[in-house]
Amino acid sequence: MRKYIDILTRRNTRQGAWGFPLLVFLGICVWLSFNTARFATIENAENLIAQAMPLIIVAIGQMLVVLVGGLDLSVGAVISFTTAILSLDAPTIVLLPVVFVLAALVGLMNGLVVTRCNVHPIIATLAMQYMLLGATRLIRPVSGGEIPQLVLDSVSGEFFGIPFPVFWGIVVVLIAWKLLYRSRYGLHLFAIGGGMASGQTDAAHNFGIAVRRNIVLAYVGSACFATIAGIFLAGRITSGDPNVGLLFELDSITAVALGGTQLSGGVGSLQGTVIGALVLALMSNGMNLVNLSPFVQTVVKGGILLIVVGLQSRKKMGL
Amino acid sequence: MTIIVEMHGISKAFGHNQVLNSVSFSLNSGSVHALMGENGAGKSTLMKILAGVHQPDAGQVKINGQKVNLLSPRDALDSGISTVFQEHSLLPNLSIAENMFLGREPLTRTGAIDYDAMIRDTRRALDELGLDLDPTRLVSTLTIGERQFVEIAHGIEADASVMILDEPTAALNAADVEVLNTSIRKLCERGKAVVYISHRMEEIFNICDTVTVLKDGKLVGEQAISDLTPNVLIEMMVGRELTSLFPARSTMAGEVVLELKDIQLTENARPLSLTLHRGEIVALAGLEGQGQQKLSRALIGQHALFSGQIRVKGVILELPFSGITGIRRTQKLGLGFVPEDRKEEGLFLELPILHNIVIGLHSRRAAIALVRKYRPVVADIMQSMNVKAPNANARVRSLSGGNQQKVLLGRYLAAKTDILVIEEPTRGVDIGAKSEIYRLLREFTEQGGAILVLSRETLELIGLSDRLYVVHENTIVAEMLAIEATEHSILNAALKTDKKAHYA
Repeated sequence: MRKYIDILTRRNTRQGAWGFPLLVFLGICVWLSFNTARFATIENAENLIAQAMPLIIVAIGQMLVVLVGGLDLSVGAVISFTTAILSLDAPTIVLLPVVFVLAALVGLMNGLVVTRCNVHPIIATLAMQYMLLGATRLIRPVSGGEIPQLVLDSVSGEFFGIPFPVFWGIVVVLIAWKLLYRSRYGLHLFAIGGGMASGQTDAAHNFGIAVRRNIVLAYVGSACFATIAGIFLAGRITSGDPNVGLLFELDSITAVALGGTQLSGGVGSLQGTVIGALVLALMSNGMNLVNLSPFVQTVVKGGILLIVVGLQSRKKMGL
Repeated sequence: MTIIVEMHGISKAFGHNQVLNSVSFSLNSGSVHALMGENGAGKSTLMKILAGVHQPDAGQVKINGQKVNLLSPRDALDSGISTVFQEHSLLPNLSIAENMFLGREPLTRTGAIDYDAMIRDTRRALDELGLDLDPTRLVSTLTIGERQFVEIAHGIEADASVMILDEPTAALNAADVEVLNTSIRKLCERGKAVVYISHRMEEIFNICDTVTVLKDGKLVGEQAISDLTPNVLIEMMVGRELTSLFPARSTMAGEVVLELKDIQLTENARPLSLTLHRGEIVALAGLEGQGQQKLSRALIGQHALFSGQIRVKGVILELPFSGITGIRRTQKLGLGFVPEDRKEEGLFLELPILHNIVIGLHSRRAAIALVRKYRPVVADIMQSMNVKAPNANARVRSLSGGNQQKVLLGRYLAAKTDILVIEEPTRGVDIGAKSEIYRLLREFTEQGGAILVLSRETLELIGLSDRLYVVHENTIVAEMLAIEATEHSILNAALKTDKKAHYA
C-alpha cells in the first residue's frame, strides 16, 4: 500500500505529485458517466475540451513563473486586454502580431520589476493587473466589436472530425513540452527554482546560469501563453469583452497547484498542470450537468484544492 | 612539475576586518597542497578568491602564467578551478547528470539537450572515482558523502586542473575517506593540483606533500611536509600575545547549575559530559565548526540531540527538546542565550533600547498580562552596564557594536537570568568595549551567575574563562584549567585526539 501511495505522490522526482490529481480526474469522469446521461457523449466531450482549453493554456504559462518561485496575477487581465485589442478595427495581419508584442512587453515589465526592483511577484503583477484592467476598459468599456474572421474560423471548425480546439491544445502542449523538457531554458528554470526553494539562492548563478534573465523570460512566457488563451476566447465569444479574463489568474494558480507543482519553485510538471486544469473544467462541467448552483461549485472548488494539495505530501523533495 | 596557479600579494577586507594581508600562494601540478591555519586565519577567504566567489582588493591571480580575473565560480571553472565547499552547492531537484552539466549542457543537432551524452559522460566520471551511482538519480536522494563525490566528479568532468577540497572528510566515514584518498592520488598522477583544507593532522601528513600556513591573514610560510612534524606545524599556526584585557579569575565555584550527561550531538559522535558551576565561566574551545555551536544551540532546542541528558539546576529536561517549548522552559529555569549574530538573531534593531531590554521581562509573563512600567529597571541596567546612548528611546541600530552587545546582555540581567550561554561575546566589538564586556561577565558570575561561552578567538576564551573544554568532531576531547591552557595545548588536544584522548 505504502508503495502505491509513494508512486501516486511521486516522491523523489521533480515532476511533483500529478498521479493523485489524475486519479481524482478519472474518478470524477467515472462518477459522472454513471450518474448523468449526458456526460459520456461526444458532444459533451467537445464542449469540455473547448471549455478547458483557455485555462490549460494560461495555466501552462503560469507554471513557468511558479517554477522559479513567482506568481503572475496579471494573466487574467492580459486575456481581457487581448480580446479588446483584437476587437479593434484593424487588419488581422496587424492585430495578431500586435497582441503578442504587447503581451511580451507586459511580461518584460513584470519580470524586470520583480528581478531588478526586488518587488514581490504578487505586488508587481497585481499592479500590472490594475493597469491592464484600466487600459482594457479605455479601449472597450463594454463588450462589443468584431473579431477577425481568421480567429473565428480557427476555433470553431473541425478537421477529419476532430474539432479545432483539440489542435490548439496539441500545439500549445508541444511548444511547452519542448521548452520545459528539451531545451536548456527549461532545465535552467528548474535549477533556479530548486535553488530558491532549498535556500541556496546563489547555486544556479554559480553554475553560470543567467538567473535574472531567465526569470524575466518566464514572465514573458506567461504573458504570451495568456495572450494565446485570449485569442482563443476572442474566437469563442466573437467580440471584445473586458470581463472575459476575470478570475483566470486565480483559476490558473489553482490548476498549477492541483497538478502537483510546488509554489516554492523547482518542482512541477506539464502533465500535472494540464490535469489540474482539466479537473477544474470537469468540475464546472459536471456540476452544471447535475444542476449544482455556481456558488456551491465555487465552495467545492476550494475544498478540492485543499484536499488534493494536502494529500500530495509536499516538501518531500528535500526542497 | 610546473606551476599552475600563482596568487600574488592578495589582500581582502570585509568592512574594517582585514582578512587577508598581501598573501602569496602557488600550486604545482601533481601536488596535494595543504592549507593550514587557526580559525579566522584566512584560509577559506583565500580559496574563495581562487574559486571566484570573492574578488580580492589587491593582488593578482595567474593561472598557467596568464593573469586572470575570476568574477564568478563559473569563470573559475572555465579557467580550470573546481571547488568542493563545505556547504553544498548542488541543486537538489536536479539529477546527478544534470548538476554535472548545468550551464554547459551538450546539445543534439536539433537543439535539444543531449541527455544520452550527459548520462554517458557522467557515468564515466563517476566510474573514475569508483562510484556506482545512477546518473539519473536526484541529488536530494544522495547522502552528504555521495554529494561530495559528485562535486569532485563535476571537477573531473569539467577537466579542472585545480581541485579545492575544503574539509572534504568532515562528512565522510572511514571507507569513504579511503576512496577519496585513492582518487586524490589518481588526480595527482594525472598532473592535477589539489588544495586540501583539513583540521585532521593525520590526514595532512598522510596525503599532502606541501603545506602553506596562514596566521591572522598573513603568510607564515610554505614547507614540504617531509620536513615537518605535527608539533612544528602547530607551532607555526599559533603564537599570539595574550592581552591584559581580562579581569581576575574567580576564586569560588558553587553548586552545579548545568549538567550535560552522555550527550551525543550527532548519531556518530562520541558521548560527552559537561558541568557548569555557579560563579564560573566555562569555555568551549577548539577549531571552528567542530560542534561547539551545536552544543550551545542544543540547550535552546535549535539542535536536536541524538541522545543524552540535560539537567538545569537539578531539573531534568526531557529529550526530544523542541525549539519553542524548549526555550521557554529553559528560560523559566533562568537560562539565557546570547547568539553569535546579535543583529539577526538577538536584537530588534529598529526598536529602542527600552523594548529590547523589557522583552526579556515580558516574555516570561502571560501574553495578555497588563504592561508594567519598566523604565526604572531599564535605566538601572543601562547605568550599571554603562550603555552609551542618549536615552532608553534610542534605536538599537544607532548604537556601536559594543553597546549593542551590552543591551543584549542587559536583557538577561534585567530578567534575573543566572545561567548565560554566550556565543562570540565580543564579535565586532572594539577593544575598549571588549574589556568592559569581560568585566561585566565576570561581575555577573561573582554575583552567583554561571556562563558557558564559545568563541572563535581561542585567546579570548583562555583569558576570560576559568575552565575550558576542547571540542573536536562533535565531542569533548579534553578539559583544562584556563590558567594552565595555552593556544598550543588547546590545538594540540584538538588535533591529536586519536593519540591521547582524555575525556572529560
